[in-house]
Amino acid sequence: MKKGLISVLSSVISILVGLLFGLLLLIIVNPAQAFPKFGELLTAGVSSAPKFAKVLYQAAPLIMTGLAVAFAFKTGLFNIGASGQYTVGAFCALACAIIFQMPWWVCLLASVVAGAIWGFFPGLFKSLFNVNEVITSIMFNWIGMMAVNLLCMNLKKGGKLIMLPVAWVSSPIKDRTAALSYANPKAMIPKMGLDTLFDSNYMNISIFIAALVAIVMWVILNRTTFGYELKACGYNKNASIYAGINAKRNIVLSMVISGALAGLGGGLYYLAGTADYTIQKTLLAMGFNGISVALLATSNPIGTIFSALFISYIQVGGESLQPTYAKEMIDIIIAVIIYLSAFALLTKTILSRFIRLDKSNVNADKPAESEGKKA
Amino acid sequence: MSEYVIEMLNITKEFPGIKANDNITLQLKHGEVHALLGENGAGKSTLMSVLFGLYQPEAGTIKKDGKVVKINNPNDANALHIGMVHQHFKLVEIFTVLDNIILGAEPNKMGFLKKAEARKKVLELSEKYGLQVDPDAKIEDISVGMQQRVEILKMLYRDNDILIFDEPTAVLTPQEIDELMEIMRNFTKEGKSILFITHKLNEIMAVADRCTVLRKGKYMGTVDIKNTTKEELSRMMVGRDVEFEVAKGEQHLGDVVLDVQNVTVPSKLHSNNAVKDVSFQVHAGEIVCLAGIEGNGQTQFVYALTGLDKMSHGKITLCGKDITKAKIRDRSKLGMSHIPEDRHKHGLVLDFSLEQNLVLQRYWEPAFQKAGFIRGKEVRKYADKLIKEYDIRSGQGPVTTARSMSGGNQQKAIVAREIDKNPELLVAVQPTRGLDVGAIEGVHKQLVAQRDAGKAVLLVSLELEEVMSVPDRILVMYEGEIVGEFNPKEVTVEELGLYMAGAKNMYREVGVGTQGQEKEGEQA
Amino acid sequence: MNVLADVISSTIVFAVPLLLVAMGGMFSERSGIINIALEGIMIIGALMGCLMMRWLDPAVTAGQLGSQLAMLIATLFSGVCGMAFAVLLAFASINLKADQTIGGTALNMLAPALAIVLTWVVQGQGQTTILIPTWSRITQETFGIAAKDTFLQNLLFKNMYLTTFLTVLLFAIAVVLLYKTKFGLRLRSCGEHPQAAASVGINVFKMRYAGVLISGFLGGIGGLAFTLAAGSGFQSSVAGYGFLALAVMIFGNWKPWSILGASLFFALFKVIGSYASSIPFMPEFKGLEGVSTYLYPMLPYIVTMILLILTSKKSRAPKAEGIPYDKGMR
Repeated sequence: MKKGLISVLSSVISILVGLLFGLLLLIIVNPAQAFPKFGELLTAGVSSAPKFAKVLYQAAPLIMTGLAVAFAFKTGLFNIGASGQYTVGAFCALACAIIFQMPWWVCLLASVVAGAIWGFFPGLFKSLFNVNEVITSIMFNWIGMMAVNLLCMNLKKGGKLIMLPVAWVSSPIKDRTAALSYANPKAMIPKMGLDTLFDSNYMNISIFIAALVAIVMWVILNRTTFGYELKACGYNKNASIYAGINAKRNIVLSMVISGALAGLGGGLYYLAGTADYTIQKTLLAMGFNGISVALLATSNPIGTIFSALFISYIQVGGESLQPTYAKEMIDIIIAVIIYLSAFALLTKTILSRFIRLDKSNVNADKPAESEGKKA
Repeated sequence: MSEYVIEMLNITKEFPGIKANDNITLQLKHGEVHALLGENGAGKSTLMSVLFGLYQPEAGTIKKDGKVVKINNPNDANALHIGMVHQHFKLVEIFTVLDNIILGAEPNKMGFLKKAEARKKVLELSEKYGLQVDPDAKIEDISVGMQQRVEILKMLYRDNDILIFDEPTAVLTPQEIDELMEIMRNFTKEGKSILFITHKLNEIMAVADRCTVLRKGKYMGTVDIKNTTKEELSRMMVGRDVEFEVAKGEQHLGDVVLDVQNVTVPSKLHSNNAVKDVSFQVHAGEIVCLAGIEGNGQTQFVYALTGLDKMSHGKITLCGKDITKAKIRDRSKLGMSHIPEDRHKHGLVLDFSLEQNLVLQRYWEPAFQKAGFIRGKEVRKYADKLIKEYDIRSGQGPVTTARSMSGGNQQKAIVAREIDKNPELLVAVQPTRGLDVGAIEGVHKQLVAQRDAGKAVLLVSLELEEVMSVPDRILVMYEGEIVGEFNPKEVTVEELGLYMAGAKNMYREVGVGTQGQEKEGEQA
Repeated sequence: MNVLADVISSTIVFAVPLLLVAMGGMFSERSGIINIALEGIMIIGALMGCLMMRWLDPAVTAGQLGSQLAMLIATLFSGVCGMAFAVLLAFASINLKADQTIGGTALNMLAPALAIVLTWVVQGQGQTTILIPTWSRITQETFGIAAKDTFLQNLLFKNMYLTTFLTVLLFAIAVVLLYKTKFGLRLRSCGEHPQAAASVGINVFKMRYAGVLISGFLGGIGGLAFTLAAGSGFQSSVAGYGFLALAVMIFGNWKPWSILGASLFFALFKVIGSYASSIPFMPEFKGLEGVSTYLYPMLPYIVTMILLILTSKKSRAPKAEGIPYDKGMR
């Protein structure tokens, strides 16, 4: 249990230092407003029920992209392609909803499949050709974003550009997809009365779906033979091959699952019906924020729930910084936290090493590290 | 001038959890070969690393020519003309021989390399001491023997006159060892002083003037070789008379368990085959040892046998079933166990707990999983059982991270896992590497127990003592071929050595001049 | 002919940042540190270079400062700032032995956010683009030549910046530094076998710092070069060029000359992508929206990936890259 405590503690320390750094930056940029605005940043998330609803609403896709990255980490892979998988997931969910008029759960399944496919290729290239998955998944981010934009702009049904608002209502808007509220309300994720409870349109059951998936992932990683195999591959590929585990298959599978999780995140976010997909030339930040979520959670699936809630919380807080400060202040804070958490991994190993030494008996003669080099 | 060129007085060096050197004194005379004797883990390498500036001791002083010196890094050591050939060569594989020799002591003008000058000096040195090298060959393309010459040239290039050799003979053929001894003697004639780390008694008797013995980090004494015997040195080293005999029951030879026919494995490094047309059988109730110098195809053969790598020709049959193309898991199911050569690369998932490692080969069996879910309680019960039976010691029992365990206990865990699978064939590759005497005895007993229980054992070993004492039959491998088959009771170590070095071959003539030199010729 | 001149000159101007940044990555990785933070380093370099140009602008327009001298100052400033930013990576991965990929990722997140915040601070709320002064380009005017619409003039003056010349110089220096000097030999040994380097008295920490700092310098200049090439001002992004440069470095097998070839190759595809509509033999895809913004720009990414797959067998990364060096380990 001590291990878990150290994990949480080191994350908390990183967060505190990161926030302090943010405060310092606010003071430097505009000292007069710094303290009141910093206060708002910290409290905005719970200042009202709708704000809190927004925290939960954004946390759901964050949990998913965070899980995607964390799951891949456990298999020794760095899935920096969550953004692309998230984007194609979002698109397929929306296409299912708008073009094929499917109910919400079918659309969610579509997003899972799409994300899985987008994760499959980097995994395949890694396992067959040993091409670095970081590079390929970044390429797939761009390809995915551009392909989705092209499709949104060009898909036609009955002579109309079906994905755009113009097919449904008279609207000049061409840089975003049609809103589900008129295109297909039954594709929206059920709210089950939560919207009235929180007095917010943002609120639906997506946060519960995400949390449930996180728990399932934890069980898979820690309680099943499949998870055992994946982790064995991640920690020591050679040993897993020696033990008769199909490492190549597991690399692909891990990326497929990771992609599916990110894809589901895209579905959860855009099927809420509160945001439309915007056609623009930048990669969606949600995927990259997933990296922060995973790192902050030290790749523990349950931990991603809390780290996603935290990141979503300060992002909502960040909105209250505007217009005095750029909301990117929040990204700086998050980046600092991640930078620090890179050391936290180190501090943790040092800490646990000390704990081990206390307990190890006299017979456990010599640490393996030094002896291994000699043997 | 002091009698001693180097004195290490009362050196103590601690690592977390262990005193690697405990109050050790070593004095090196001018122009002598001074052996440093001790078992694996006795603290020899640590002591030499202190002298070379890689470690700083907690206590003790070092004197050069009677004056106290401080050696904080290899540069300081170099300035004192101390050089070292490390046990694992410190060579950059993709660099040329020349680049490796000059690295760190580059002749240069304003930072620009003066390679022509360096080449001249290297060739001169190479000529003078008979250390043949090709300055433009890449390290990854040359033989181990030549790599060692590069290491020696590195020291000479720096004008070192105190030369440390850390287990230099482990990777050499007997002929190369003889050459090395000759080179060492030449060095001492020139007034250079040599520290020679080893655990091989014959070599000490052959070349050393004096010998300092360490045991478990402690100083056991220094003796003149003239006035001592192998037996005495051995007693000093291990603290009791060494028992070269391994108690074995009467042999009951059974059916053929492993049948290897004409196996050929291509090499990853060059266009030749690493294993050439190897055939043999292992019966139930016998231990067959595959002996040879490191790097003669044993590793590649084992990879092909266990399924870690593919072979290009041949057939392997296990218990009557063709497993030539079988998956690793299927081989395991058919009754093959494998104690791998490299426990960190293959044997363990270091970041898994001990119990997770103990079921590495069996987690998928119904005993340990149900519908894909791991039965944690069963795993724990099984781990507890193995820990007790095989005396695996660790900080926190089954939940200890494998990484934090000592090398010996890691090896015990692997041995326990592979033997408890109750295999028909146990493939044990250097199973005692890095273990202390007590643990080695334990492993040997377990191998013999397998044999006595009517199982087949294929032991791959580099240690002559092990080769002579454990198996029922010895196969010698040289350059990928089986060159001889022996009954350990009827063969001498010297005879074996000739086969291991390629000087003799039971199955075909060995031409004059192919011994030893052939290897150099093709790579030079 | 004019299209050809355009394509060649644009290829060169886009190859310049790729080459610089990939070379930067090479120095870092050959010293043993994976530098995934190149994207962030580029952003910081571009930001600081653009801010410097903005600051020097009055002096240049008033004629007190030569335009190309101002560019030189801005370019060097980019490099120095990139270097300063790279120190963060060096500190995390060398001193603290942190995971190099995670540290780099954090810096990649930090850079654009920092750039936006700083841009706001300098230019005022909501002003997210730093415009590039027109004097940054080398034109006929710089040499006092009359402008004519000839092939040669189009080739030379349409997309010519001081950074292009600097890059040629830096490339030559880099090749010599890596292969002909004591420093280069030592740097390369640290990326392959740091224990061997340490055993002959080389300070692995110092060499790795040097590798990362050089990559910061080249990456910073590369960021500015990219912003100049892109032409529409600095908007806190270098559009994934840092990652593309990493791919170029891998494709170039961590060797300078191959990296040069690879960057020209990718730049060509990038340019074909953006010029596709004006190149006669490229299909037009009539009736499709977004061809020039989304379809052709996919080209360099797809080509990169195919090439990485095809050349994966020959690829050989520095052996010790990504592994923190620990003095105690032998």
